[in-house]
Amino acid sequence: MNLPDRTVLGNGAVLVSHALPSNPFIAFRGSVPAGVAAEGSDHGVAEFTSQLLLSGTRRMSAAKLADRLEGIGATLEFHNGEELLSFQGRCTRETAAETVRILVECLSQPTFPPKEIERVRGELLNDLRIEADDTRARAFRQLSRLVFPKDHPYGRDPKGGEARVRRIRRADIVSFHEAHVGPEGLILAATGDVDRALLEDAIAAPLSRLRGDESGPPAIPPPPPHRPGSESIPMPHKTQVDIAIGAPGVPRRHADYYALNLANLLFGRIGLYGRLGRNLRDDQGLAYYAFSGLDARTAGGMWSISAGVNPANLGKAIDSIRSEMDRLRTEPFTLDEIRDGKDNQVGSLIVSLERNAEVASELHRMEYYGLGMDFLERYPDIIGDLTGERVRDVARKYFLPSASSMVVAGPVGRARFRL
Amino acid sequence: MPTRVETLDNGLKVILRPIPDTKALSTWVVYRIGSRNEVPGMTGSTHWVEHMLFKGGGKLGKGDIDKMISRLGGKMNAFTDTDYTMYFETIPAAAMDTALMIESERMRNAAFDPKEVEAERTVVISEREGAENQPDFAVEEELWGLAFHVHPYHWTAIGYKQDLATLDRDPLYRHYLRYYAPNNASLILVGGFDPAVAMQHVREAFGPLKPETRPDPLRLSEPEQHGERRSDLERPGPADLLSVGWHIPAASHEDTPALVLLSTVLGGWRGIVPFAAGDWRPRSNRLYRALVDARLATDVGVRQEMKLDPALLIASVTLARGAALDRVEAVLDREIEKIQKSPPPKSELARARQQVRAWARYEQDGVTFQGILLGAGEGLGSWDFGETLLAKVEKVRAEQVRAVARTYLVDEHRTVVRFHAQEVPA
Repeated sequence: MNLPDRTVLGNGAVLVSHALPSNPFIAFRGSVPAGVAAEGSDHGVAEFTSQLLLSGTRRMSAAKLADRLEGIGATLEFHNGEELLSFQGRCTRETAAETVRILVECLSQPTFPPKEIERVRGELLNDLRIEADDTRARAFRQLSRLVFPKDHPYGRDPKGGEARVRRIRRADIVSFHEAHVGPEGLILAATGDVDRALLEDAIAAPLSRLRGDESGPPAIPPPPPHRPGSESIPMPHKTQVDIAIGAPGVPRRHADYYALNLANLLFGRIGLYGRLGRNLRDDQGLAYYAFSGLDARTAGGMWSISAGVNPANLGKAIDSIRSEMDRLRTEPFTLDEIRDGKDNQVGSLIVSLERNAEVASELHRMEYYGLGMDFLERYPDIIGDLTGERVRDVARKYFLPSASSMVVAGPVGRARFRL
Repeated sequence: MPTRVETLDNGLKVILRPIPDTKALSTWVVYRIGSRNEVPGMTGSTHWVEHMLFKGGGKLGKGDIDKMISRLGGKMNAFTDTDYTMYFETIPAAAMDTALMIESERMRNAAFDPKEVEAERTVVISEREGAENQPDFAVEEELWGLAFHVHPYHWTAIGYKQDLATLDRDPLYRHYLRYYAPNNASLILVGGFDPAVAMQHVREAFGPLKPETRPDPLRLSEPEQHGERRSDLERPGPADLLSVGWHIPAASHEDTPALVLLSTVLGGWRGIVPFAAGDWRPRSNRLYRALVDARLATDVGVRQEMKLDPALLIASVTLARGAALDRVEAVLDREIEKIQKSPPPKSELARARQQVRAWARYEQDGVTFQGILLGAGEGLGSWDFGETLLAKVEKVRAEQVRAVARTYLVDEHRTVVRFHAQEVPA
């Protein structure tokens, strides 16, 4: 693939793009550094703000915004994350200029009407209740708290909890928005039916009109040390138990990242969930899902295991997960496994980037983490250079039962479980 | 988009959609077998068979499919619907033969090793138990169970736990042999290939497979519903839920395009298959305005279940804390009454049509989504179902939208399930 285009606009916003002529529309992904990490001790305000950006601007009410976007067949969404306020959408060549104009308006001129604030407050409270009733969400929320303690932005609930949601006022939202949402650190990645003229006229021109105060994005502190723990969350009315196990990983730019990513792939992702899936699902039939994951962000990360099992099989499932972690020491990844994993990672460049929206996400990631616009060209060599020893070493170093926390949520009674 | 269709001598329908500038290939096989072809006592068997077809047989040992696709960096999966079952691999186009070999082995040579069948029993039960953890699964199962007394849409594709606990290997294997044959399937290729070359490879891989006696057509049809059916579920949960289903005709019926616009006006449109839309939710629709904007609900959706046989149009609501189910139901009734009284204004209809048009485009994002769209279309009768439907939607008049609301959204043909969330035990 040709290298993506990258343009830095006069106000500091960065526009990256890649043409995919066979896709008959444009997908875009973008962000500003206004996620949980930017809210300091005002917990929940970033999430609240993100959910209000489609709720009215100086020119249009919430209803008019929805009518206009859907009337031209465009989509626009805002989501809050630990580091970023993200946005994404779809439009056509013909509707790109108007869609980006609306995006810019939502980012720069939201009015935060009191009626909409109350609507969003109600939705957030309901979401919190729904998440509290979801075994997997409960287990992972608590696991994140354990792995990233002391209210670190990666560990706390982005919604801030019920008490905070009830307390947040319009003034909190307005001042958060003023302080953090602007062109500084803004990235927009667009793919599909784009060319230079369209980018300049329909996307760069409206984005250039965003004005800011030239302040940089907030620094994200490194996560405090993790003290492994184990917790049970009894939810007697549920049928299945969710197990969440995790430990600190590495930041995206860490030297161990690629080896760890490959180790994670082999441990609990490749095919039907790697070694973990083979053992728990395929051989023992204990779980419909049992897999591992690796999150790598700016200041830290987490690797984790997720499995959903019948309560009668909980002990057996935990023992089996433990034995797979131990096996990384007694039966390290074979050369065949490592070769399969490398082939998968290089081959997946074609498959994982077949969709417009996926390419836009990847371009955004490349820009956000400073990987370079030639990252996809270099990627096969990066993977090719990983040695088997390196991959085995990081697996032994990071996938340690004694360094991991575990949470189980579901019909578990009061019994305590240990990894 | 240029699409070539051929049928092999053994009855396998082959649908080829070349996309010249892509390096990926998505291979889909659609079998005309879904949970609608099951009988009581064997519910969930189609889905269980789907699981077994990842476990090897013929030239494939256990784990081989997984390994071959993984090495290519590919993705694969399968879906069991009420009407059809689909399998897919998306891989680099240069590896087409790998996908064709997997699918031709899967079609006739699956092993159904008794030990593997037994291991998979707890996996499918676990899949069901995971769903049981969600209150909306209980509502969905109740709704279909109540709305259909005769037709197999009475149960959902996952099946009942008691059947999953007792089903044996042999009936599952017979189910497989009966329905997995070239003359009961369609093969779809989307991606970077030359159609003539691809066709040659398809013939080599699938040509030798023998057809089966075609399964008898389903003879069961749901008698007309006379009178509203209601169910009130009282269980622990985080929020009250309301689900209302009205009987609508089969997807092939001439009223389907008008029902598409009726659904869109009421609850927005997210495409024929919901994968492309992800978390995006429409807001420019009547139920969102009447319920979410009014803070009676935090979420609302309308699903037009397009199926081979008459199915349901479903409105689902997650209630806001403090909102009463009676009130929400009354607001829903009011909105239905409004659309029955007056056709949607021109601007509203234009917006609804534009949404359907836009999603017809967004659903074409990449070879996998195109494959699923062609596959789902084929499962409903023809690969070009989506394109044909869009063309018909373009011609629907406002008066037709009102007419289908009057014909189908009537109380005596509806089923109402209300989930009264009880305090979650500590």
